[in-house]
Amino acid sequence: MSEPVSGKQRGATRTRVQRGVISILWALAGVVLVVLMWEAVKFLGSFIELPINTSDTSMPHVWTMVDAFSNPVVRGSDTTVLQAVVSATLTSLKIALGGFTIGVTFGIVLAVIMQRFAFFERGLLPFVIASQTVPLIALAPLIVGLGNRISFGPIEWTTTYSVMFIAAYLAFFPLSVGALRGLQAPSATSLELMRSYAARPNQMLWKLRFPSSVPYLVPALKVSAAAAVVGTVVAEISTGVKGGVGRLLIEYARETTSQPAKVYVAVFGAIALGLAAAALVSALDLYLTRNLPKESQA
Amino acid sequence: MSSVQTSHQAVDVQGLWKIFNEGSNNEVTALSDINLSVKPGEFISLIGPSGCGKSTLLRVIGDLTGATRGEVFIAGETAPVAREKQLYGIAFQQAALFDWRTVRRNVELPLELQGLGKKERRERALELLELVQLSDFAEHRPWELSGGMQQRVAIARSLAVDPPLLLMDEPFGALDEMTRERMQNELLRICQETGKTIIFVTHSIPEAVYLSDRVIVMSPRPGRITHTVPIELGERNEDTRETDTFYAGVTAVREALRGRSASASPPRIEEL
Repeated sequence: MSEPVSGKQRGATRTRVQRGVISILWALAGVVLVVLMWEAVKFLGSFIELPINTSDTSMPHVWTMVDAFSNPVVRGSDTTVLQAVVSATLTSLKIALGGFTIGVTFGIVLAVIMQRFAFFERGLLPFVIASQTVPLIALAPLIVGLGNRISFGPIEWTTTYSVMFIAAYLAFFPLSVGALRGLQAPSATSLELMRSYAARPNQMLWKLRFPSSVPYLVPALKVSAAAAVVGTVVAEISTGVKGGVGRLLIEYARETTSQPAKVYVAVFGAIALGLAAAALVSALDLYLTRNLPKESQA
Repeated sequence: MSSVQTSHQAVDVQGLWKIFNEGSNNEVTALSDINLSVKPGEFISLIGPSGCGKSTLLRVIGDLTGATRGEVFIAGETAPVAREKQLYGIAFQQAALFDWRTVRRNVELPLELQGLGKKERRERALELLELVQLSDFAEHRPWELSGGMQQRVAIARSLAVDPPLLLMDEPFGALDEMTRERMQNELLRICQETGKTIIFVTHSIPEAVYLSDRVIVMSPRPGRITHTVPIELGERNEDTRETDTFYAGVTAVREALRGRSASASPPRIEEL
């Protein structure tokens, strides 16, 4: 048959790898730009009065920050600041990942229930939305307080679990709302088609609704991952749990007068945490949308 | 899988009513007192202006929506049982192929839902793709195909479980005229090769006349059958669309749609 195949036109545009390399170059250019602007502001501040404090204690030079990486954590210590930040970031990453996984699972289960039973959608959705209006800072001590009384057999509930719970609490919401929209996305024709095949409800879910929800799920996952990271760092600070990058930020911020660049190393750790989460979701995105036309990729 | 019981009509619709929002202010009578019998192997078209209930009739036959009153039988079974037993295949104006599946796995879908083994599914799908002349595209994604090709995949999919009956709701409605005529010829070829009974909903008078053994003319408010126009074109070929019999059929259907009966000349119209 000689009908045209639109797929051929796609081949003419850039490949996935090429597009990936280009976007990495742009990202690097962005970093360079930020560094240049930082130093430009400092340079400008040494001549004229700016509304912000550009002294070395408030805005250390970028090279001072890089130097601070290899400083010892405390005088005479074997561990460098970099090592401390890396290990704290990994700890936070684990907590955020745990929270993300729990939040995503819970969010999807909730979406499936709400999609399946209109009654639950009407009954639950307002609570789901209201749940996000409770300020995190108010919630954290409450959860820690409640958590102290819980133990699952040999597993003690530690404050770390409270942090993970808070991360999950923030992550589930965008996911459940996105997943619900996705599950409701199949066209009337697709649904009639499945009905004509006498598809069972679970077949409807696995063969039609879940695959159809992917374009909605991917952006929701991105928001959820970010929420899990923010939730982890903020909850670490407000619960005072040790070992994570949130606590490190607070500790190093107190040392600004003596070592102004130190806190920025912790900031970089927090940024790395965010990037790791973004990378994870991008990998998920590539996997989930591997069979879909390019247009539907978020 | 298919067993056309000769003792039964392929489709039997008796005293069918479909009323939306019955008893409320916005009550709409979509179908009123529909009686229709389709013989095994017969090709019938449902034609009429928008809102005449032709698509609704097709959906009631397929048990995609329930009847308010009256009965529908497919090969002697009630519509819900017929749907459970997969006694019909269906194709819509939108091909409704699943983007995340290859062309072959789209055709396999109904078989997969029935729990047929991987190997059998695959064989059957490839056989059907050959029937619709798309063997070379088995491992392509649906969105890489043109509209006409997608619709052929949808037809292959509707034939997957080898049902005795095909329900088609304007399957060529979104295609251009040239593709459309080619698809019509292909559908007739597939019918000949498989011996299916077909109920075909369309807006196009020439399409209805060219394809059908019988054209059912419907009218809106309330949706009802007003005329039945038998078509006797015999074997269709490239010249059929230019014969006098074809034009006479087109005229007869057009007159029926206008609510008049054609003056003289075959084919005759059975007033209902």
